[in-house]
Amino acid sequence: MKAVKIAMMGMTHGHTRKYYQTLLDNQKLDWVASCAQDADAKKTYELYKTGVPCYLDPEEMYKKHPDIEAVVIASANDRHFEQMKWCAEKGIHILSMKIPTFDMKEYDEMIAMCDKAGIVCQIELEMHYNSVVRRLKKLIADGAIGKIKSFQATNITLSPVWAFPWQGDPKASFGKVEHLKKGDPRYKGGALCDHPHIFDLIRHLTGSSFDYIYAEVAPNLRDGLKVEDMLMAVGKMKDGTAFLFDPSWSRLEEKLKVPGPGWERFPKRMEVNVTITGDKGMITCDCFGPNVYHNGAPNDRYTVQYTYFDEWVGLIDEFVDCIRNHKTPLINLKWHKETIQAMLGCYESIQSGKIAKVGGK
Amino acid sequence: MNIKKMNKGLDFLRGKYGAMQGEITLKDGHCYVGATPLLPGRMERKIVELKKMTENGTLEGVSTLRFAAFAPKGTDMEAMLSKELDLAAYLGASDVVRVMAVASGNAINVLAKLANDVNVSVEIGAGLPKGEIGYDRHEIIAKRGVACDQTVDTHTPHASIRCYGAKGAEEFTDVDTELFGLSYDEIWNVRAAFALLQKRADAKVWKAAWGKATKAAKLAFAADKAKAAKTIAVKKGLDTNQSIKVAEVR
Repeated sequence: MKAVKIAMMGMTHGHTRKYYQTLLDNQKLDWVASCAQDADAKKTYELYKTGVPCYLDPEEMYKKHPDIEAVVIASANDRHFEQMKWCAEKGIHILSMKIPTFDMKEYDEMIAMCDKAGIVCQIELEMHYNSVVRRLKKLIADGAIGKIKSFQATNITLSPVWAFPWQGDPKASFGKVEHLKKGDPRYKGGALCDHPHIFDLIRHLTGSSFDYIYAEVAPNLRDGLKVEDMLMAVGKMKDGTAFLFDPSWSRLEEKLKVPGPGWERFPKRMEVNVTITGDKGMITCDCFGPNVYHNGAPNDRYTVQYTYFDEWVGLIDEFVDCIRNHKTPLINLKWHKETIQAMLGCYESIQSGKIAKVGGK
Repeated sequence: MNIKKMNKGLDFLRGKYGAMQGEITLKDGHCYVGATPLLPGRMERKIVELKKMTENGTLEGVSTLRFAAFAPKGTDMEAMLSKELDLAAYLGASDVVRVMAVASGNAINVLAKLANDVNVSVEIGAGLPKGEIGYDRHEIIAKRGVACDQTVDTHTPHASIRCYGAKGAEEFTDVDTELFGLSYDEIWNVRAAFALLQKRADAKVWKAAWGKATKAAKLAFAADKAKAAKTIAVKKGLDTNQSIKVAEVR
């Protein structure tokens, strides 16, 4: 199979660096170029010494590499629309970060332009390629705990805002500047916008759709942050499954400009834990454990050293398979729309103090 | 171990990333590629991360290694000890030069010394009920920092999934998406074979390292019988404890 000529754009997303090794190692890919949002993003990119040329102007990149077939759009949420449009106009396949946009008009336009261009647009929800999630799906499908009655999940992390400031900028993260609720000085665009995975996972595991959702924000942990960092949500799926989600930035961090050792203050910088109660049993699951642990350099604090990180390998394999074999990705724009609507439902509920019907139905 | 399934996994990796031809064979309970014994323990991701910590400055001034391994009744304790002593040399970055051991029934407790003066304790037990998976622990104690593959305040490994269903409580820990479905031991043997076939691991190094480990384990049992420590002469030459490049994924 001919290797897919791939490029990266933006280079400001927190997941950017996680692609480097996979793009270099996978023989089904030929990583030909990168295009950074600005000089700072280029400087950070160059620290990783990938050997792949980096441009600041997408047109210049395309001029030098007209054979680019696919792009990983690794940028702030408010840049996705224009970058997707740029790709669609050139017939370039897209691997989008986890939030294509929160603007549903824009979202529908994204669907239309990708359909019109006949390109693959895969959304990066890497948890699907995590081996623990794969086992979880298998156990549920095999009926190990019967029909799901209740689903509790955390997607809790440190906050990446110091390394990726756009994630604390309401416009760049949420797409527009809107207060969380009347009288609250904070804006939409924080922790919730960083954590779609659990909103997606419940749909896959139950095979059902969201009915309604109720969310509350808590006082922020970080002084000076313009957006929310602590919130929780409860709600119900259409099949009756009750859920409780924690998508917070509840793990404090050092204010590093470039992620690296010593970033975390709490020992584990990211947790996706799921407990599911069924009518025949229950499952408890730690998607990122076990690991190894130390209290050495740089801060001599007890720290989880993540040990099993395969997600980007499977994600990219699926993307290449979809491009070469004309398949539709598991997480495509149309599928993902309801996940985004459920997240918007959280903001709606926070604003109104009432339950929000997901998708406004 | 299901060698057929393992070779299928190996073929998958070779096809995807490129590597020389070769297959895994089983001899006396140990896996080989050609005449080279595999060192799957060195490929386990937790060991890779621990090794990195000893080399990248996370830990400074390693003093002592505390290891343990437990397996079902009937498991070959000498093979278990060989693996742990190889990992001791690997993580301690120095060969085993002295072993003392006290055995009793299906257990043996070993105190070893590395050439760089690091102490090593290894607790081996083959007394678990048949059908249990077994578990191990590797702790590195340094002047700066302690690292371990078990979390603090626990004494058995954490599992990724616990399922309380019709079969009672079951645990699952899946560690490799590309080789999903293989057992833990199968996965690391496949990864070891793949590292050899990609020439990231050096066949000469592994042959020599396994020779040293099996010799040290044999001497540990002899030390128990003799009630006296056994010394192993260090030969100059090949460094058998250099880290392996784990490049294909993650």
